[in-house]
Amino acid sequence: MAKKTAIIASNGGLFEAYKVFNIATAAAASDHEVSIFFTFEGLNLIHKEANQQLPMPEGKEHFEEGFKKSNVPAIPELIEMAQDLDVKFIGCQMTMDVMGLEKDAFVDGIEVGGAVTFLDFAQDADVTLTF
Amino acid sequence: MVQTDKVLDAKGLACPMPIVKTKKVMKDMGSGEVLEVQATDKGSTADLQAWAKSSGHEYIGTETEGDVLLHYLRKDGANEVEETIEIPEVSLADFQARVENGDSLNILDVREQEEYDEAHIPGVKHIPLGEVENRMNELDQNQEIYIICYSGRRSGVAGDMMAKKGFKTLYNVVPGMRDWTGKTE
Repeated sequence: MAKKTAIIASNGGLFEAYKVFNIATAAAASDHEVSIFFTFEGLNLIHKEANQQLPMPEGKEHFEEGFKKSNVPAIPELIEMAQDLDVKFIGCQMTMDVMGLEKDAFVDGIEVGGAVTFLDFAQDADVTLTF
Repeated sequence: MVQTDKVLDAKGLACPMPIVKTKKVMKDMGSGEVLEVQATDKGSTADLQAWAKSSGHEYIGTETEGDVLLHYLRKDGANEVEETIEIPEVSLADFQARVENGDSLNILDVREQEEYDEAHIPGVKHIPLGEVENRMNELDQNQEIYIICYSGRRSGVAGDMMAKKGFKTLYNVVPGMRDWTGKTE
């Protein structure tokens, strides 16, 4: 049976985005079944507009050049790749309600669910990560 | 150099792209085929080794050409190890004695073309491991066949594949050409 990787993304910065999507795509490429639960600021990572310009942590802006030099793919590119590899995105319903966001503000193909939706997937996951 | 069936250019790409691209290309390849991944990401060596291990492919090795890493992977290579038929082994010394005694043996050399070109036992049949699956019908299933490679590993894999297809009497020469001191051409 395929291994399962469950990720919780709860922060909205550029660094978190790379942590989440790099691990997710690498796991999916290794034939893991992958689900990411986006909650609170983590929702920025899949927000159509917000994810184009995720902030660097304060004082770390000088890394921008390093990202360019290392030819690191842009976040929207990584998202496309992740979805291509069947990574499942779950947006947190409660956070969306609190922030007044609708499903169509996010990249296509996401599911919206509550904590239980994620727990159901995560309960027998082989790898569980929180970012 | 290993004979490759496909080449993937992942130069200039950062983690995890080399793995993601490898996965995509590998999906459309046939079992036993060899992929060459060209990468400049220094982490790709460890990554591809781990990836191959977890996805059931064989990591053959890495060569360096300037700044470029050339990784070689064989599709599904590792899975075959799980359900192998181990053919009987014959020691290189006994084998060599029989060859030098003038016994007419059917010898199959499964090393890569370059290794074969460098030196091989006179009169052997040569089929690189990657082609054994498709070309074993060039051999007679009912004859006794001695399979040899460099160390005895690939010949074991070949023996396993051939035994599964009905070859009756196979011997794996162990070690292999590495320690061969007899005649070559």
